[in-house]
Amino acid sequence: MSVLKTERLSKRFGEVQAVREVGFEVAAGEIYGLLGPNGAGKTTTISMVCGLLQPDAGKVRLKGRDFWSDPQASRKLMGVVPQEIALYDDLTGRENLEFWGRLAGLGRAEARDRAGELLETLSLADREKDVIKQYSGGMKRRINLGCALMHRPELLLLDEPTVGIDPQARRNILEFIRKLAAGGTAILYTTHYLEEAEFFCQRIGIIDHGQILAEGTLTDLQRLLGGDQVFVVEADCKTSQPEDWPGFKDRFRVLQKLDQQLVVSAVGGSDPAECLKQLLALPVRVGNVTWKRPSLNDVFLQLTGRELRE
Amino acid sequence: MNILVLMLVKDLRRAWRNPVPWLIHIGVPVLITALIGLAFGGSDKTSALGRIKVAVVDEDDSALTGFLRGTLNQRELSDRFEPVFATRNEALVQILENRLSAAIIIPSGFTRDFLSGERSVVLELIKNPAQSFHPAIVEELLGVLTTGLDILARLVRPDYESWQQVFDRPEGPDFSSMASLIQRTGQRLESARPYLYPPLVGLEKVERAEAARTEGKTWNAFAFILPGMAALFLLFQADNAVRDLYRERRFRTLERFQTVREGLLPLVTAKVVFALVMLLLTGMIFFGGGALVFRIHWKQPLAVGILLLTYSFFAAGFMAFMAGWAGKEKRADVLNNIVAMAMGLAGGCMFPREQLPGFLRDHITPWLPTNWLVEAVRATQFGEGDASWAHLALRLSLIGGVLLVSATWLFQRRLRLGERE
Repeated sequence: MSVLKTERLSKRFGEVQAVREVGFEVAAGEIYGLLGPNGAGKTTTISMVCGLLQPDAGKVRLKGRDFWSDPQASRKLMGVVPQEIALYDDLTGRENLEFWGRLAGLGRAEARDRAGELLETLSLADREKDVIKQYSGGMKRRINLGCALMHRPELLLLDEPTVGIDPQARRNILEFIRKLAAGGTAILYTTHYLEEAEFFCQRIGIIDHGQILAEGTLTDLQRLLGGDQVFVVEADCKTSQPEDWPGFKDRFRVLQKLDQQLVVSAVGGSDPAECLKQLLALPVRVGNVTWKRPSLNDVFLQLTGRELRE
Repeated sequence: MNILVLMLVKDLRRAWRNPVPWLIHIGVPVLITALIGLAFGGSDKTSALGRIKVAVVDEDDSALTGFLRGTLNQRELSDRFEPVFATRNEALVQILENRLSAAIIIPSGFTRDFLSGERSVVLELIKNPAQSFHPAIVEELLGVLTTGLDILARLVRPDYESWQQVFDRPEGPDFSSMASLIQRTGQRLESARPYLYPPLVGLEKVERAEAARTEGKTWNAFAFILPGMAALFLLFQADNAVRDLYRERRFRTLERFQTVREGLLPLVTAKVVFALVMLLLTGMIFFGGGALVFRIHWKQPLAVGILLLTYSFFAAGFMAFMAGWAGKEKRADVLNNIVAMAMGLAGGCMFPREQLPGFLRDHITPWLPTNWLVEAVRATQFGEGDASWAHLALRLSLIGGVLLVSATWLFQRRLRLGERE
């Protein structure tokens, strides 16, 4: 049984449909990535999952039970790491951890021991007595994460936890989360960083305009583009329409067309060498053709017609 | 209950780590009280006004003016006056330097003209324009002195020549002749006795023994000013405490709270309790510290304590309600400060109620809780007014309670709706 299951979640803010019928599941020990650009509906989705927002429609189930049937018990199952740092600047790292731990139901001694344990794990034991305002961005992120882990939640919701920190700190946090997942914690991870989703998440849901457009493992998503065949053609395409080229539509699918570049995927299981030959023979002046494995960005491009980075 | 304590400890710790905003609201009223109190006489137990320094310029330099100069050094007067004998120029310089309150000039020929009665004599008074009370007092007293001299002149005029001889003798006044002249003057006064004695209008001076024992001979200006300052700045302090709810929202800790606990009631209640604790601490510093620093003897400490408690309850509720009503931190910041300041001004926190414009004094001020605290504390201290502290304390508690419940509901509603800046 999955730890988290959302069913047709929807949320509207006035005229804006922020989330539309979003459904996914996260199993114990799994890292599920919700990938999408800013404003795609990731935070709204996570807010509904953790009870900050009530969905207009749909259900959030935790270990099979509806969240709102017992909100307090549901909250105990999960730890939430908000996108922005949510700490008391005037309290020390340890005081923050102990406060949030006790608020989550731990006893005084238990909170003290758990805070010490997390400070060690997060490599912050030597700074435990410093107030948060003296911490670097990366250290704040780590405490922000630690506060959500105090009560040992079975489900961890991470809303873009690595935004605005340096690569080293990001690597440390991701490594820590990976270990948590290995220990059996179910993880819902939202991000707009492609690399994080590609190399970190076991399953990925691509979300845009409040809808999940595709879902699966990286390989599943790559298959949407015709396996592992994506070609970047450098050519003057300003005045041409690829759909008009004879036989082109039967063999290739256009992912992106720019003035000087055409990104296409092969239809069916064509031989890459044959594809290269056909692309070089296109009725335009071709400068170069590159064959590459499709990235999540290519998938996003195929699904939305625009790049994730735009 | 555990959550309330946990959150209260957390907020007190934060206040302790960042005490500046709290200290400002404690320090400023104490400073204002000290400044205004000292300007109006402080708590001096011997004399509310201090000794008045006045120059006597004797340009006549006669035995009579010597006699006048001597009277200023008598014990009764020397308690109130500090005469400085100087030339006209020296006196003027000292007035310019604000070292004297006034200068009394006895002009040349004063004795001769006074005794002859042929010409009216004039005593010249130069007042220091930089001072208000002291020169006015000297002027009033000089008026009394000239009236006395006028009576004296009318009595001695028939013996003018004899008096002149007594004073004009080169070897000094002839005291045996002076004695007979005084006797003759006395006989004249005796003949006027039926007109003078017993006086038809009398003055009886009554000093309240209790007040004299506890406060000295004068009242304590600090005790008059401090309740007003406390009433005003407790509102500011309450505002600072309850607006922490908005800071929680800004710091995102509010959202985190909502991911951990169901419902916002504990959070809002804890913040109100925090506000109440901070107000009581501040009030204790105001009134307890006031007693130590300004030597105020609170005559009814229990009443003052209960008034402080109930007013804190009201202030926390009122400011929480205002902040909840404003809905946004910046709006609450502006609105609460303006409202607190207006309530302070109109409530007689800065000026005595009697000094306020008529409409305000008669129709607005009596309805303001700031005024209730000020009037009630002053009533317990000085016995002024007819305010019953117990009645006002009850009223403050009831209003505070209603406001707190309303504020909690308002805040919960706003936070639940997720309204943001």
